[in-house]
Amino acid sequence: MIDFSVEIDKQGPLPIIRVKGEIDVYTCTQLNTSFQEVIQAGAKDIVLNLENIQYIDSTGLGTIAHAAREVQQSDGKILVVCPKPQVRKIFEISGLTSKNITLFDDEPRALGAKNA
Amino acid sequence: MPEHHIVKVEIPALSEYVAVIRLAISGVATRMHFNIEEIEDIKIAVSEACTNVVQHAYPHQTDGKINLVATLSDEKLDIAISDSGKGFDAKNPVSDKQDGSNGVNFGLGLGLTFIRSLMDSSEIISEPNKGTTIRMTKNAPEKKVEEPLTNS
Repeated sequence: MIDFSVEIDKQGPLPIIRVKGEIDVYTCTQLNTSFQEVIQAGAKDIVLNLENIQYIDSTGLGTIAHAAREVQQSDGKILVVCPKPQVRKIFEISGLTSKNITLFDDEPRALGAKNA
Repeated sequence: MPEHHIVKVEIPALSEYVAVIRLAISGVATRMHFNIEEIEDIKIAVSEACTNVVQHAYPHQTDGKINLVATLSDEKLDIAISDSGKGFDAKNPVSDKQDGSNGVNFGLGLGLTFIRSLMDSSEIISEPNKGTTIRMTKNAPEKKVEEPLTNS
């Protein structure tokens, strides 16, 4: 089984949540816990780095959408680093990127979008 | 009638076992020489069907099961994911909202969208209190380009 981990980086201008492994019905609760931690700490815009995930399904997208709805109340966004075509495809089919969720190829671009 | 092989897997209807089904179906799809993108499609579709069972089929029991039957042939990969849980009215599944307004979990709505989008065909058979079967098919790689539409 692929190891799953979520790390929160609070050192930069925006909080970054970096995920490794597969996001599914079993692991999405850990991702949700991390989102809640940064949102409750007052974060508005959040970078979610999915560079090192091998898989995401509807429960993972649901977790991201849930967080996006919460930060939207303070006009915040979820900036998703998502260079893998198979993961992007899932976002595109879901239609999620039309909300306050934006996809980027790497972390510098996502962080640069903060002031865009 | 073409030769076909059948692979059966049964897992507990618990979230931690959905990854096991993904590994199993990934092995089956690899054996049929699907490409990486197609294997990902199949993994997601199967995982969504299993996730639906985990989330909805057995609300009051912890010993529910998920059964996967994969039928491999030259033409296609047929997959059936079944449970014997509470079932639902297949003509009126849960909300299809895709904005997360259902809470953390999207439920069957988006999962079904994925299954329909990623597989060549799919079907849900369900009846309240009798369980649910989700059938899905991915045409074999070669059959997508050549088109010998013989008798069906």
